[in-house]
Amino acid sequence: MTGPQSGAVERTIRIGARPETVWRFWTDPERICDWWGASAELDPRPGGICLVMLGGNAVMRGEFVELVPYRRIVFTLGWEPAPGAPPVAPGSTTVTVTLTEDGGDTILTLSHTGLPPAARDQHVSGWSHFLPVLASAAARRPRTTASTD
Amino acid sequence: MDATMHALADPTRRAILRLVRDDEVAAGRIARHFPAMSRPAVSQHLRVLADAGLVAVRRSGNLRLYRWRPEGLGDVTAFLEEMWSDRLMALKTAAERAEWPARARAKRPRIREASD
Repeated sequence: MTGPQSGAVERTIRIGARPETVWRFWTDPERICDWWGASAELDPRPGGICLVMLGGNAVMRGEFVELVPYRRIVFTLGWEPAPGAPPVAPGSTTVTVTLTEDGGDTILTLSHTGLPPAARDQHVSGWSHFLPVLASAAARRPRTTASTD
Repeated sequence: MDATMHALADPTRRAILRLVRDDEVAAGRIARHFPAMSRPAVSQHLRVLADAGLVAVRRSGNLRLYRWRPEGLGDVTAFLEEMWSDRLMALKTAAERAEWPARARAKRPRIREASD
């Protein structure tokens, strides 16, 4: 069933926020739109939907596989067929995110496996862009409701 | 306010606003956030946001840098606050009216005791 696969895409980044905070940026549809999606639908339990729309018709359709609160999130990642969308069928690749507390910060490690060689570069540059956006969104000081005053 | 509402009524443009909320961000980086969109399409969204006054644009060398303009939301915020405070007053009146008979009953014995 599966075609040739390239090696895993691995990324590690330090985030100036605790794992509990970073966790919400992966499991709360509002928070995931602070760094990845334009809109999202998330049901963070094994078998639950993980749908992230990036704008411009790019729809990431995945499913949560495993959730260990504040430590580990595993989900499948694929793209609905569309012009410009990577050639990765929903369910065909797996992303494992681990969160490790380190002196009040979080060390986030992301491992993306199962990518076909033709889609690898797109995902390398994708994660290289989005993970730093996640880091700055999660490390941002809590917003107050009166911030427009 | 129409231009502001129109600019906000699109998930891609709201995503751009989140991206530029705290930092000045170059157009190229904004485009990388939308890998499946063409550069002209991203530019068009940025133009709508700039025309509505929701982002400020600055040139630095050959970079175009975008930043959120919180004051661009002024009219919309004032409108929502006005509507919301009006609804809160309606809630207060309705809630107080709903409790009125019970409160009146609860008060009556005490008044009687006091007058006895």
